[in-house]
Amino acid sequence: MRNLRLACGVAAALLASACAATGTTTSPTAAAQQSAAPGYLALADQSLPSGGTLNLQVHIDSGAATGYDPQLADVATTWQLLSLSYETLVTVGPDFSVQPLLAEKWDTPSPTEYVFHLRKGVRFANGREMTADDVVGSLKRLLASKSVWRGQLGPVKSVTADGDGEVKVTLSEPYTPFLTALANVPAAVLPMKEIDDKSVDPATTLLGTGPYVVENHRQDVSWAFKRNDQYWNKGKPAADALNITIAPEEAARIAALQNGSAALATLGNVDSATMLAGAGNVQVGTQATTDFYYLMLNSLKPGSKLADPKVRQAIAIALDNQQIADVALGGQGKPTAITPAGLPGACDPAALPSAAKSVDDAKALLAEAGAQDLSFTLTIFSTEPAPAVAQVIQQNLQQAGITVKIEQMDEASWSGKVYGKAPADFDAALSWFAGYADPGMVTKWWNPETAGFNVGFMKPDKELNTLIDAAGKEPAGPSRDQALTAVCAKADADAQMIPLVTRPATVAFRTDALSPSLYATEGYGNVLRLVADARVKKTQ
Amino acid sequence: MRRLDRLSIGGLVTLLVLVVFALGSLIGAGGDPDAIVGPRLQPPGSGWWLGTDNLGRPVLPRVMEGVGTTLLLSSVAVLVTAALSATFGIVAGYRGGYLNELVMRLVEVLYSFPAIVLAILVAAVLGPGQTAALASIVLVTIPLMTRLVRAAAVAVSQRDYVTSAVISGARLPRVLVRHVLPNVAGTIAVQGTYALSVGIAVEGGLSFLGFGVQPPQASLGVLIQQGGTYMIAAPWLILGPGVVLVAAILAINVVGDGLRDRLEPRETRTLT
Repeated sequence: MRNLRLACGVAAALLASACAATGTTTSPTAAAQQSAAPGYLALADQSLPSGGTLNLQVHIDSGAATGYDPQLADVATTWQLLSLSYETLVTVGPDFSVQPLLAEKWDTPSPTEYVFHLRKGVRFANGREMTADDVVGSLKRLLASKSVWRGQLGPVKSVTADGDGEVKVTLSEPYTPFLTALANVPAAVLPMKEIDDKSVDPATTLLGTGPYVVENHRQDVSWAFKRNDQYWNKGKPAADALNITIAPEEAARIAALQNGSAALATLGNVDSATMLAGAGNVQVGTQATTDFYYLMLNSLKPGSKLADPKVRQAIAIALDNQQIADVALGGQGKPTAITPAGLPGACDPAALPSAAKSVDDAKALLAEAGAQDLSFTLTIFSTEPAPAVAQVIQQNLQQAGITVKIEQMDEASWSGKVYGKAPADFDAALSWFAGYADPGMVTKWWNPETAGFNVGFMKPDKELNTLIDAAGKEPAGPSRDQALTAVCAKADADAQMIPLVTRPATVAFRTDALSPSLYATEGYGNVLRLVADARVKKTQ
Repeated sequence: MRRLDRLSIGGLVTLLVLVVFALGSLIGAGGDPDAIVGPRLQPPGSGWWLGTDNLGRPVLPRVMEGVGTTLLLSSVAVLVTAALSATFGIVAGYRGGYLNELVMRLVEVLYSFPAIVLAILVAAVLGPGQTAALASIVLVTIPLMTRLVRAAAVAVSQRDYVTSAVISGARLPRVLVRHVLPNVAGTIAVQGTYALSVGIAVEGGLSFLGFGVQPPQASLGVLIQQGGTYMIAAPWLILGPGVVLVAAILAINVVGDGLRDRLEPRETRTLT
């Protein structure tokens, strides 16, 4: 009898653990996605008092390997966390427009000259006032570094200070995405005086002009921030303290929202809104981001059939991006080309050469390449919805006779396998790019000599690189749209990295604990962009 | 030797039904478990008897595949565990001395690791997949079974019939196989059923972390983890695999009890 009880206990525990994953406390006062001001998912109620502690949960910590140096940060999840302490000259608004931040305005005397007028009264968290030398030093340091972001700044010829209030950047040729490239954390203004005299090491210490100062960080566990009393934007941040828990399991974040231990959490499951529909006081919103999933095909692996462009094109043709968007992302994503769908001037994915072809064309290409029996392993990370995307890819390619074996691992192991050595030891891998705020920016990652991180699995394509550079020079308008269309078509034919679908960003918060501001769109993977505006209703 | 009681026979029948259910998946009964056949998250209906999952795949064939995967994986792992534990436990318990100390210390080292940490370590070395899951289940379940077998062997080795066999000139292998093993078999059988339960849980945890069964292959652990996520929005996702899991573990345990009663006639225990 004891064993029968044990059996029942084990079975009940297993089921109970599954139940606990989503929590069981629900109320009929479901808060559906509500409309806020245009361009916003939510707008903080400024009539609420400031103060309090804001408890957040996100799925992943910053990359430990690159330390805290914002210039070396190479993934969007790190940018998001560092953006709480660091700021840039410019930022982006809800419509992807470039807006002032540490530069209160700028002039463009010619297509190759930018003069930034620095905001007065900006101080680093140590109390020292930011100067033009900090801005110049930061940009020069970035340009001289091994940062991935260096390539996004374009052909910078010189950076000079004009007194304490102005900084002039001169380009060697026009580069349209320059301002949007400055809007990301790697281009943040650093305390160069302290860095130069070695009293601060940015790899180990966060010292910026941003709204929060780090009190404590336990890698992969938590961050504790407190308000930066030196912050230039009076009245912000609204919350006195910010506690961020790293909770890799989606179910844990959902449970934290339900039991109130988190006031806001980022979610990966595309059905989060449905799953939280019965949870009282929880509002779920989905940002339409320019981020997108893409498939990497390793053309450098010795003996791999994926080195043959025909094979890669066949794979691109066989993929049904609309089905990936509808099934794996529950209709919340949309097919994209190399230029992120949703940005002005982006290519129409339906107009790509591969989109006009059929599965039979894919089979014919495979036959021409002698790869009718093609099979390969697709390496993915286990964070949702990547496994779902991979499984739809598997089904798509099966239609063309391609066998895909999925290899799933945690993000750290995945990163090591994909980027750890050159040539890389994988066949194919799934990942996502932040799409930024200019359609030409992310195309630069298709040049491995600029990107660096993909040099282990991607051959440079001279023609494609020339087209990417040409599109960067074109001013926004029809001529640039045409140039980007050429980039899209060439990248589609190259097919070493195949754009798939845009990646929605879901965020949920407790309406009884928090009144946050959230853009309806986001280009840099930064759900916490407006966290300094958030008003805490009650501290959990 | 007693015959199996009715409860045990019921458990055996349940297990046989589950095995047939799993074999049905091999011949395609119920449909392709990986095919996207309908809208996402549809409740049970005429086109999909147990509903569809978050990718529009039918749940029924996935449960069938999951039963087969989990039973096969856990059974093989537990058989390996049983063989290793019986060998080490009996030898350590019967011989004692340094051999006993060595086996017990090794077991304690394994015991000191939390199950899922040990499983992740194994998976990191072997790479994700069924082999890692199998090895992990073995390493997680072997310490407890070895200790129990060893304890039983210590008790049995002091019994008169074992002493008689030694005095009558029986050699060590014969003593262990003919006199000790049959009398600890009940312990192995019962502990095996518990190990099977643990194996299913470990498999589920590993698969959830991405180290175990790889998608799109289904296992009960994977299906229950997925169903747990959708418990409120789509309860049918956990209902099928959950019922099957409960049935499997109950059946395994009552069969284990029945086997123990049959294999250990000196200690009368019945499930009432």
